[in-house]
Amino acid sequence: MIEENRKGYEIYTLGDSAITIEFGKFISPETNDHVIARFKQFQENPINGVLDLIPSYHSLTLCYDLSFVAKQKMGLNSLIDQVKSRLEEPMQLLPNSSKLHEIPVVYGGKNGSDLIRVSQEKGIDLHEIIRLHAEPTYRVYMLGFIPGFAYLGELDLKLTMPRKSSPQPMIPGSIGIAGLQTGIYPSFSPGGWNIIGHTHYPLLNNGLPILQAGDLVKFIPKNQL
Amino acid sequence: MSLIIHKVGILDTIQHFGMKGLQSKGIRPGGVMDQFSASIANALVGNKLNEDLLEIHFPACEIIFTKSCLISIVGANFTAKLNEKYLPINRPILIPTNGKLQFVAPKSGRIVYIAIQGGLLGQGRLIKNSDIEFKKKPKLTTTSLHIFPWSADVDWRKYSPEIHVIQGREWERLNEESQRKFCCKPFKLSHHADRMGYRLQHDPFHTRTKEEIISSAVNFGTIQLLPNGQTIVLMADHQTTGGYPRIAHVISADLSKLAQKSPGEDVVFHLTDQETAEKEWIAQQKHIRQIQNISQLKLDEFFQKNSNQL
Repeated sequence: MIEENRKGYEIYTLGDSAITIEFGKFISPETNDHVIARFKQFQENPINGVLDLIPSYHSLTLCYDLSFVAKQKMGLNSLIDQVKSRLEEPMQLLPNSSKLHEIPVVYGGKNGSDLIRVSQEKGIDLHEIIRLHAEPTYRVYMLGFIPGFAYLGELDLKLTMPRKSSPQPMIPGSIGIAGLQTGIYPSFSPGGWNIIGHTHYPLLNNGLPILQAGDLVKFIPKNQL
Repeated sequence: MSLIIHKVGILDTIQHFGMKGLQSKGIRPGGVMDQFSASIANALVGNKLNEDLLEIHFPACEIIFTKSCLISIVGANFTAKLNEKYLPINRPILIPTNGKLQFVAPKSGRIVYIAIQGGLLGQGRLIKNSDIEFKKKPKLTTTSLHIFPWSADVDWRKYSPEIHVIQGREWERLNEESQRKFCCKPFKLSHHADRMGYRLQHDPFHTRTKEEIISSAVNFGTIQLLPNGQTIVLMADHQTTGGYPRIAHVISADLSKLAQKSPGEDVVFHLTDQETAEKEWIAQQKHIRQIQNISQLKLDEFFQKNSNQL
């Protein structure tokens, strides 16, 4: 485990073939802007041996070719030194893409089967849960997990729920909440989030995600409970 | 048409060696589960080490070769038969036209790789009732089965339950007792095991904190702690990011060994460090390259003697 606190970021290993740079401890648009800017920097000017980049809410992961890195004189430390010197370079904060997606949602029912449980566990009535979920304009903080899954934040603190204890099968369009996050499952997959609604909004185009990091999302409730 | 899938298996694919560069869009790299066996399979037929090849689970598909070709079968032992004759694993084999390949009984391991000289078209595809094309015209054809007299040394990953891991970002969340149990206690591999992940069976682990973590990247080999105290090792088709605590990561050199473990088999985790992980990986790659070099020499020699028809 490698730590570096001085400059406001930390670097840690993610197994023997990836490192993660963490730019903050919390979800915030500023930290996420930082992540996206550094992601673009590493994407436009790649480091030798780095094969893939995974930006997230508050971190950027670099997956590297272990054969290449292990053959360097200092092994992984050579790569980390390069990364640190790149992080010294000023970053270009890009103007936010302000594309707004208005996503119609049917809350509850068969395809929102956790809504009632969330309501019971939180002690908040169903209409209020829908209002709290549909009120904010969310930011797409990152894409990940599976193709086209957009992580949206921040959810109202009153709706914070733990993930389910074990992943369950999800259908495309399922809208879930977990922690301070909400998101939409774009395809069939196992998932651990609490499903409160469903949408038919298109999320993939030829297998590529329609929502992009930095985009905005507004949920439009379509049903009366 | 070069191969006909006579009978479909449960989870057979034409695999590549991982697509890198798309994880920022949430697109997983995928690729072979057991890179060691897949590389050896390619080396034995004179392919580049990361050529596309068949990845076969049991019950396996049945294949009819409508064209003669050079193949190798490496990884698990599913008792391969060609037209009712037993075939060895870890060797180059010349298959005659209309040879019918079957796998009749799983003996050890969990995944078989079949490399075909020149590779196959249709990367990433699940094998269904259809035909598969060779990428290149076979160099050498035969009218009768020919098993080559040399075999690859795959002792490298001879059976043992030891799997080496590096501590993960959330390792410290495990309480002391769970940390102690995680290392060195044998766990059985659960039946919930597929290309996305292998679950383990053990008493639930306990954490010092229940605090939710912010989703971020995971890796092939990442061991996640589920909220019920159970663990899952993410495998080749893992998601790109996740929000469960990452307590440890299997080192790259041990992923192939883990991939070949079947439900009910024991796994024992041992903590190691980055430097050891790098050394182990380099040693394993060296071993594969040595096999590749020797194979190439022997194949060249053989091809010179038997120009194009056996």
